[in-house]
Amino acid sequence: MATELGVGRPTKRRPGAAVGGLPVADSRPSLVDGQVGGVRCTTCRYPVAQTGIPWCPACYGPVEPARFAATGAAWSSTVVQIPVGTRRPPFGLAYLDLDDGPRVLVHLAEPTVLPLGARLRITGLDDGDLTAVTIEKGVEK
Amino acid sequence: MNPMLWGVGTSDYGLQPGTRVEVLCWTAIREAVDDAGITPAEIDAIIVGSVFGPPGVATRVQRGLGLPGVPMWTVENACASGTSAYHEAVQAVRQGRFGCVLVLGVDQMSTLFSGAIVPEATDPEGAASLPLPGLYALQAQRYVQEFGVTPEQLAAVAVKNKRNGLDNPRAQLRKAAPTVEEVLASRMIAEPLTFLQCCPTSDGAGAVIVGGERGNPADLRIEASAMVSGALWDHRSQDVWGYASVARAAEQAYAQAGRTPGEIDVLEVHDAFTIGEILTLEALGLAPRGKGAELAPSGHTARDGAQPVNPSGGLLSRGHPLGGTGTAQIAEIACQLRGRAGDRQVARHRVGLVETMGGGAAGMDGNACVVTILSVP
Repeated sequence: MATELGVGRPTKRRPGAAVGGLPVADSRPSLVDGQVGGVRCTTCRYPVAQTGIPWCPACYGPVEPARFAATGAAWSSTVVQIPVGTRRPPFGLAYLDLDDGPRVLVHLAEPTVLPLGARLRITGLDDGDLTAVTIEKGVEK
Repeated sequence: MNPMLWGVGTSDYGLQPGTRVEVLCWTAIREAVDDAGITPAEIDAIIVGSVFGPPGVATRVQRGLGLPGVPMWTVENACASGTSAYHEAVQAVRQGRFGCVLVLGVDQMSTLFSGAIVPEATDPEGAASLPLPGLYALQAQRYVQEFGVTPEQLAAVAVKNKRNGLDNPRAQLRKAAPTVEEVLASRMIAEPLTFLQCCPTSDGAGAVIVGGERGNPADLRIEASAMVSGALWDHRSQDVWGYASVARAAEQAYAQAGRTPGEIDVLEVHDAFTIGEILTLEALGLAPRGKGAELAPSGHTARDGAQPVNPSGGLLSRGHPLGGTGTAQIAEIACQLRGRAGDRQVARHRVGLVETMGGGAAGMDGNACVVTILSVP
């Protein structure tokens, strides 16, 4: 029987509390009042779905806290068919280019491969992960 | 001092949880020292590339070497750790800092993970349960939809490399090579990547001896070595993840060597997943963007093709002990350039290229990439 990572076998990898390791600070993008939290450059307007960064990674300008729209277009998507952490297959993932915002990784409410550019809306957090649904003809599915 | 490759050595690659990490390393080092024709006392620095160690592995390996007091350090650049260690050795010799450097790449994955690598919880995307095959699958899916890359084209990379690996006595997977149909029928890991399109995690070590010119006809010229860190994966660019880091390293390496992609006879590249080889060969300039998937089906990258890629079987056959991968790639190219690859030998073998790309840090176009070009003097 293979040893579960994080159970009785400390490693250099931090697996996180979800799979039996010690808790770590959450670095995932936040969702505040239905908007994605992050920072935006005050010089070039580059958006980043992270906080605590020292300057704009695109132009070195100063950054300020920002909120981003919860809607955007799918850059790519996949359906994962192996268990990962607490996730059980199948589960869908997409890179979502938020409207006038950064690219964020989202879980899909329906595990399916989407057409490039499919319109998505982030509807909430699932165990801390951004979760999105497709918008078809104005109707969220 | 012009850097030369003096010798290479490796352990077997495969699941070896019952073998001590140090023994994997000592096996590789002994072979490299013999290959270089040196005595251990000639080694005046040691650089180790490893991701998961264990911490202190470099010193524990030293226990068996009897080289107290030489400068030694360990570098971690994800999957490019072994070649990053090699790059530092090449630069040190070039600058005259050392005359003979032992490079060691090692990882023992089977004592850490029972399957796919568990994502790093401190990473925003690792914390969101994005596994490495999922990251590559997102690039593959983009290519499927943007450029019409077919499942059969993806599978052809696995068929080619696993067939090559049958002739590599140190590869992890040495059963019959699958057909395209069998690759596609294997269980889905992350759409469109099936099980047989993912490299196995592995245990292994590779060693490389780098020194200056010494008039030994078996030494290989290190024409170029370029190492770049990851940069922002800017969502405004047209690049899929990983492409730009490889392209940056490749541009530097070709400039150093004064060569063009068409002059490369044989390559070992980072095929952790089938799409990885395709994207890498585009970034290395062997095919235009969106056309890399045609290289394996056309036979261009076959062992008897115009530019053989991964004649060793690549990561898809040899297995992937992160830090141990880059040094194994260099060992294979050295073997090919010297005409000692036996059943794996390619016909034209004067100029070889190694590319290793590590990734997994969210928002970056890679963690690091190393490209080196070697030739027969």
